[in-house]
Amino acid sequence: MRLVHWLLAGLITFSWWSVKNHHTDWHIWSGIAILTLLIFRLLWGFVGSSTARWTSFVRGPRAVIGYLRGRWRGIGHTPLAALSVVAMFLAVAVQVGLGLISEDEDGLYTGPLAGLVGIDTSDAARDIHEQWFYVILGLVVLHLAAILFYRLRGQGLTWPMITGRARAAPGTTAMRPGKWWVALICLAVALAISRWVVAGAPPFSPS
Amino acid sequence: MRIQLVAATALVSLTAASVAFAGLPKTKALAIMHERHEGMEKIGDTNKLLRREIISSSPFMPAIQSGAATIAGLSVRANGWFPKGTGPELGKTGAKPEIWQKPQDFTAKLRSFQAAAQAFNAAARSGDMNAIKARYADLGGACKACHDSYRSEMHH
Repeated sequence: MRLVHWLLAGLITFSWWSVKNHHTDWHIWSGIAILTLLIFRLLWGFVGSSTARWTSFVRGPRAVIGYLRGRWRGIGHTPLAALSVVAMFLAVAVQVGLGLISEDEDGLYTGPLAGLVGIDTSDAARDIHEQWFYVILGLVVLHLAAILFYRLRGQGLTWPMITGRARAAPGTTAMRPGKWWVALICLAVALAISRWVVAGAPPFSPS
Repeated sequence: MRIQLVAATALVSLTAASVAFAGLPKTKALAIMHERHEGMEKIGDTNKLLRREIISSSPFMPAIQSGAATIAGLSVRANGWFPKGTGPELGKTGAKPEIWQKPQDFTAKLRSFQAAAQAFNAAARSGDMNAIKARYADLGGACKACHDSYRSEMHH
């Protein structure tokens, strides 16, 4: 899961760089790789390690307020951070979805699913795709600001995100790691779905 | 002294202006840029239509043939689209100044685009779907080769 995080950070940076430097083909493949990561993370959120499961860390507004008042003891994402995780996940998913149906201004580069929608939809998707980047950028800035905020309050978050180790309050149950073969199955499924998307999503491909 | 300087400056600016005007009158240059923009946009839009037909499992041949003829025709018109003085120094355009800095390379790429457009048009008229796909890929490659070096992003 930490690996997914850093790959995602790297690929989003690469996507931005490649499109700014007119490597549109690399940009498209980077988007496909991000799609694979998102599918993997989605599945891992159901069958993965205890702290990765959506049901273990996504909480309602009452828990978020409770956390802000200092009533939260646990490991992994806090209820507030869960909102950030979900927001970033959805924002990147929207971005990938828009990219898949986009085409460039000249019609020379197309997302693998652009053929499923009309020309106007493709062109509109590209315009939104360009603007939506700022939504992602905003969330990333917020994410980094939060890390800095915790650092200033004496809680470093970057190192645990690299090593996976953090000091927990006494009495907390340790995380239950996921099984490697479950991760492998999730990865295989994610790759298979991505491969299917690259092929234009048969049998829905244009007829 | 000062009068001489003013006179000299005036002379220099007059010369510069006349050199600028000797090439292409501004209205004419702007008209060409407009025609170029419309033409390129038409090629792009036609390409988008063509791609959808070509990847379709039941392509509509008359649409492919008319699109191929449109692009072939416009590719010939492109001969007159890039005179000196129609670059970004005059107005908003996706044409990079490199077009006029490396005219030989640019002309070679323009020629290969025209050749690819004619070959695609011939394939379309033959109605052979395999040939159409192959020549369409060549055409896309020719567009990209030139755009990679000579087209800048232009939002309008």
